[in-house]
Amino acid sequence: MELRDLIREMVPVKESLTLTASGERPYVAVDAAHLTVVVEAGVDAHLVVLHQEPKSAEVTIRLAEGASLTVNELFLAEAFASVTVAQGASSRLKLTAVELGSANASYTIDLAGRDAESEVNGVFLTADGEHARLAIRTNHLSADCRSRSIARGVAGGRSVGEFEGMVYVAKDAQRTDAEQQNRNLLLSDVARIETKPQLEIYADDVKCSHGATVGQMDQEAIYYMRQRGLDEPQARRLQIAGFVGDLVLHCNEDRLCEAVSALLEQKLSKM
Amino acid sequence: MLKVKNLHASVEGKEILRGINFEVKPGEVHAIMGPNGSGKSTLASVLAGNEKFTVTEGEVEFEGKNLLDLSIEDRARMGLFLGFQYPVEIPGVTMANFMKIAVNEQRKFRGEEPLTAAEYLKMMREKAQIVELDTKLTSRAVNEGFSGGEKKKNEIFQMAMLDPKLAILDETDSGLDIDALRIVATGVTKLHTAENATVVITHYQRLLDYIVPDYVHVLYKGRIIYTGDRTLALKLEKEGYDWLINDSNE
Repeated sequence: MELRDLIREMVPVKESLTLTASGERPYVAVDAAHLTVVVEAGVDAHLVVLHQEPKSAEVTIRLAEGASLTVNELFLAEAFASVTVAQGASSRLKLTAVELGSANASYTIDLAGRDAESEVNGVFLTADGEHARLAIRTNHLSADCRSRSIARGVAGGRSVGEFEGMVYVAKDAQRTDAEQQNRNLLLSDVARIETKPQLEIYADDVKCSHGATVGQMDQEAIYYMRQRGLDEPQARRLQIAGFVGDLVLHCNEDRLCEAVSALLEQKLSKM
Repeated sequence: MLKVKNLHASVEGKEILRGINFEVKPGEVHAIMGPNGSGKSTLASVLAGNEKFTVTEGEVEFEGKNLLDLSIEDRARMGLFLGFQYPVEIPGVTMANFMKIAVNEQRKFRGEEPLTAAEYLKMMREKAQIVELDTKLTSRAVNEGFSGGEKKKNEIFQMAMLDPKLAILDETDSGLDIDALRIVATGVTKLHTAENATVVITHYQRLLDYIVPDYVHVLYKGRIIYTGDRTLALKLEKEGYDWLINDSNE
């Protein structure tokens, strides 16, 4: 099913949304300039944020105690999005951002209540002269919270991909468990990746890890796939898809996964 | 099926193969043995088309075509299979998806329709049985986190899926325990027919207890210095290569 048709089945959201009960259908915001979402205590919801036009967007999300939200944000146009999430005690956030070209996405997650948990996954794929930026800042403001931010970037042609990560752990945020990881794949000699994984820790009882890598295509793997009958472009595409695939496919719903995969395939055929 | 004439190949200016001659006919099994560094794996890589190596002289004919003119993938699609000594891991790409693309590429090359999902699943299940491969492995990323034995079984599973005319198995037996060796070797034997051929590159006679070769070639310093029948492998196991090497140096 195409994304367009899938979106028609979702509940459209314009400017603000307060969720007081869990529902089956996902909510969708298309090219919203300002969006405020409040998920009340114990409510479980799914939100899709779609950027089809080169506009700027400001998204503010608040998760009350024990609330749980899955967000899929998809950039199909050169949008400029700034997303802030404030998480109450024991709330859960699972956010996946996919930039299929030039875009600028920045996320600020405040883990404000005890035992809150966030998982932010970001992927960008840039070709030709595109420029994508992905920034994820996680603020551990309360004790016993967990966060994981995983970003993967692929840059081809003369494109530029930027990742900026920050895990901030406040003085009182003891027993924080934070992981920050950024892996990138450069497809050409003139493409560029800039990565800045950072930690700022003021508490003394924490578990924090961060890392960043920039690599090239695995030529041995290309040879292996060609020996099985795939041509070189196919082998390259499959390798890139494998590199970003598991992150892209964190989408809570099979049909959405398929739609996003199809868009990813389209993008890969141009890389 | 395969005719190799005076094949010379080098890597980074260093000549590794220095005039290889041999011919493989349908239904035959050839074993290539020889001490370390004699050029066995290079021969396999050159036949598969690995671009790290440069062919400097000689000819190779495969199924009536000039093999050296063909791309790696066209050689594969025509039915040349290489079982890798060190199978490569491809993170994020499932075995099932990878093989589906490979099988359908081969079918397209032959002018056949792609397999339906049901046909493909059935085929995968049948072929996995040949090497007692747990079908759960097919939903995992290619070779990622596979044990040494699973990787080699997986090579033979792929061979079964692609049903090659000529399979070149590069030290498929290395690093296998006795049980895995039996399973892998039995798998290869099951796949052998009067129409296809197998070239096994090995250090050890033990593989040849299962896969009985018609010819055993000894490769030394980039040349085949001796060709015999299966009894040659037994003699090499007992006496080593010295008697041959001394002979060839004279």
